[in-house]
Amino acid sequence: MTPTPALVHERPSGARLPVRRAMVRWAWRLLRREWRQQVLVLALIAVAVAVTTVGVGVAVNTPLSPYVGFGTATDLATFSGVSPSETAAVVTWRQHYGSVQVIENETMTIPGSITTFDLRAQNPRGPYGQPLLSLVSGHFPTRAGEVALTSGVATSLNLTRGDVWHQGDIARRVVGIVENPLDLLEQFALVVPGQVPHPNDVTVLFDAPGVAPHTLGPHVLTPAMVARSNPLNPETISLALATLAMLLIALVAVAGFTVMAQRHLRQIGMLGAIGATDRDIAMVVRANGVLTGVVGALVGVVVGLAAWLAYRPRLEASAHHVVGVLALPWVVIVAAVALAVVAAYVAATKPARAVTRISIVAALSGRPAPPPPMRRTVVPGVVVAVVAFFLLGAAGASGGKGGGVLELVLGFVALTVAVVLSAPFFLVALSRLTRRAPLAVRMATRDLERFRARSGAALGAISIGVLIAVTVMVASAARFGNALDWAGPNLSPTQLILYTPGPYGPGPGNASAPLPTFNLATMHAAAQSIAHALGSHTIITLETTSATLQHAGPGRNYSGPLYVATPQLLRAFGIAASSLSPTADVLSMRPGFSSLTSMQLVYGDYFGRGPTGGHPFACPASDCLANPAIQEVSGLPSGTSAPNTVITQYAVHRLALTPLVSGWLVQSARTLSALQITDARATAAAAGMTVETKSSIPTSASIIDWATVVGILLALGILAMSIGLIRSEAVRDVRILTATGASSTTRRNVTAVTAGALALIGAVVGTAAGYVAVIAFSRTNSLDGLSSLSSVPVANLVVILVAMPVGAAAGGWLLAGREPAPFAHQPLE
Amino acid sequence: MSFLEMRAIGKIYGAGSSEVHALTDVDLSVERGALVAVMGPSGSGKSTLLSIAGSLEEPTSGEVVIDGASLSAMSRNDKARLRRRTVGYVFQDFNLLAGLTAVENVTLPLELDGVTARTARRAGMTALEELGLADRGNRFPDELSGGERQRVAIARAVVGNRQLLLADEPSGALDSANGTVVMEMILAACRRGVAAVVVTHDATLASWADRVVVVRDGRVVDQSATLTGSPSSSAPSSPPLER
Repeated sequence: MTPTPALVHERPSGARLPVRRAMVRWAWRLLRREWRQQVLVLALIAVAVAVTTVGVGVAVNTPLSPYVGFGTATDLATFSGVSPSETAAVVTWRQHYGSVQVIENETMTIPGSITTFDLRAQNPRGPYGQPLLSLVSGHFPTRAGEVALTSGVATSLNLTRGDVWHQGDIARRVVGIVENPLDLLEQFALVVPGQVPHPNDVTVLFDAPGVAPHTLGPHVLTPAMVARSNPLNPETISLALATLAMLLIALVAVAGFTVMAQRHLRQIGMLGAIGATDRDIAMVVRANGVLTGVVGALVGVVVGLAAWLAYRPRLEASAHHVVGVLALPWVVIVAAVALAVVAAYVAATKPARAVTRISIVAALSGRPAPPPPMRRTVVPGVVVAVVAFFLLGAAGASGGKGGGVLELVLGFVALTVAVVLSAPFFLVALSRLTRRAPLAVRMATRDLERFRARSGAALGAISIGVLIAVTVMVASAARFGNALDWAGPNLSPTQLILYTPGPYGPGPGNASAPLPTFNLATMHAAAQSIAHALGSHTIITLETTSATLQHAGPGRNYSGPLYVATPQLLRAFGIAASSLSPTADVLSMRPGFSSLTSMQLVYGDYFGRGPTGGHPFACPASDCLANPAIQEVSGLPSGTSAPNTVITQYAVHRLALTPLVSGWLVQSARTLSALQITDARATAAAAGMTVETKSSIPTSASIIDWATVVGILLALGILAMSIGLIRSEAVRDVRILTATGASSTTRRNVTAVTAGALALIGAVVGTAAGYVAVIAFSRTNSLDGLSSLSSVPVANLVVILVAMPVGAAAGGWLLAGREPAPFAHQPLE
Repeated sequence: MSFLEMRAIGKIYGAGSSEVHALTDVDLSVERGALVAVMGPSGSGKSTLLSIAGSLEEPTSGEVVIDGASLSAMSRNDKARLRRRTVGYVFQDFNLLAGLTAVENVTLPLELDGVTARTARRAGMTALEELGLADRGNRFPDELSGGERQRVAIARAVVGNRQLLLADEPSGALDSANGTVVMEMILAACRRGVAAVVVTHDATLASWADRVVVVRDGRVVDQSATLTGSPSSSAPSSPPLER
């Protein structure tokens, strides 16, 4: 029978609006009244947005802006010195576009130092360059014979305002101290236009609105072109990280919204009973998700802005340029807010659909829907993992040639999807494995299996956290474990190397005439003076020859200096001559170096001669020794600039090489201070030497340790946020357990097993996925290959695979055990 | 002509060995303005009967016709629309939305039906005024007494001129005085032409009905009975209203 018109008549026109308003109002009130139930999701979103706000602010403002050179101009042209083409271009642009500002630079060296600065001719009141200049004291130069210096140049040249700077035959009076507020590290001496005699860099600023830059000439850039030339800029990276964070949050939030929907099942049933459609009911859950996302994101922005305002002064100090109060990449922040809302909406979509599948009568009685049919197959996950494997393989194949970024990103996305798809299978498998386990274990693993909509999402998120950590760990271990292309810190904090200006310098292959002995004596005296000032009794003379090592095969080549293993050097590092093979050609502390094949010790005019017979790795006996005898000696220092690999005196004599002093390694008992380093630089510069001290390159251990810590914290954080949600689904069972006499120990055990099991499977799946990623990439990578994975961060993997699950179980046991709410009938109101 | 007609209704839960016959061959008809009480022991199928009558559940067999329209021919959305415009529910435990005020709870079916908030509010306040709750409109459910909550639930069930009122133990969570007030209100609705079906265990309250249907083991064993005398004795100050 067809419904009568009296019963089934149409809504008033535009009638969805009141419905939406009513549903959103209820969702908002739900959130307001019960925000504590959503506090985990709210906190996650707020923290993610706050971190993104501050992080992207720091990331964007720490390096110099790529647009810094433009001043207020929209077009910038650079020329290598003054030329007829430059002059013609300036004339043309001036005719066509009016104002043009020319800034000329000539690179100069501070005497006794490798530090350079620019002699800059710029009109401080020019039409476009004013943002690039700021007066600290005094005044800008107004005529020839006047100069304003940056404070760094003034200090280096030992000049103050009023002094006269003699540059060759030219004398200029220092009339002011200036800076580039957009780059406080930039060092220059400012003179009036026309006072730079031999500019090697000319910048022309002008405005050519609406004109395609390429029509103006090959040297013209616009800010848009600069932005396009750097797709992996801080904004893009921050946005990618924010997207990843939101993906993890969405996985956790699915559980949050599901529990929220189940808590209000009877109300939702009532809504259906009074005539809400499935669409209306789903809208409540979705609106709750959107509102949670909006509130979390707004809280995050406020917290992030507060943190940004507090941190900005420190950032200015460390970034060496002025940072505006609101100089934040708002597009990225707005995108992060939008991502948060979208993530929350997407997370709420599945529970919204699920809740509409529950019959109204079942909902009214508060009975949750039975778990959906079990998916026992791991096939979809494996299929996607295989796709990921090949994508990462493609990335590895082109990685060495500078491409493969797209394949890499797609590969990791596919791997993430594979992990999420596979997660429920492992829960089912665990439940099967524990069929005969004690009650608490059995109950916990069965609940994980039954409620795998929640536990599967949490497991996926934990696995992804571990996957990221393991990928970083294994890749770092592989990269830092490469004996050929040795990576890591250059020196220890107590070491300092003084380099002579030649003949071989700090690197190989710079053979030329030996230094005059009087210079060497002066430099040696300076080195001893520096060592004395540092309180060091260890000053090691570093000698080099024309010899270096070469890997005559595919993959990475040898990197690093090859000093001579003088008796003094060996003694300084406690290496007894008796411990060395008398026929060893090379000593190295690099693990695995002695087992490398296709090594060549090349010397003399090997590189000057070019490839022999067209073979790139030909090894003529006149200047090449194939497969030199290499002995590993752990006593040598590990720094990349330190003598970690040395040529023996046996080889030096055998190959008739001429050792020459190329520097001195000074070892202090204590970490060198900035003042000591500055003084050493000044002394070294006076003697014509340069100084190298510890750089900021981290050790492999520190990278791996940090990756482990971050991975564990991420996994435990997700676990902490998920476990309550997962257990809340089985709260009815726990009540029954309590009613039948189970003690708090049983309840604790159930929670501990839930947490421990999730952490363990997450660690195993994440580690396996991480290895899949690096194996897939390395397998096809011509630079490293699978052999690079032989260096395994065992201790850190054990921490992730053992300590993390144990810690999670212990945490669950300690925090659980509270008496569940009684069985009393709980009315809705 | 009956406003609600249930013909040969059967409801089976489960399948195979776990099959449970909740209702078997049940016929029930309710005219406009009539109050029918459904009584029976726990598990006899009373609530299932009410759920099927209100389109909350599908019968396994038989047909439900409301105001001449068969529910079997309706889509889920048509049924939802029917519940918004024609059928009103009153539950034992009120089932008000805790996050909405009394008047917002009352206006919910109207707003779900696309009525503007202002118009719906006006109608909601009128319904509350008629039930003596004009000053409680802006209170949240947890600020109301049990009797007040159930009156709000009744207002929600009748707002928008709905013609079929289905009440499942409407006084079950109330004391006898409030239970009487609730029954008076249901009777008042019937006096305006609303057809009402009330499931109750309370013979005193059932005595207010025009007809009592007794259900046992999923079958209607008697639907001709009327219980008399009790209302006046249980609620001397509020005798059943004349219809």
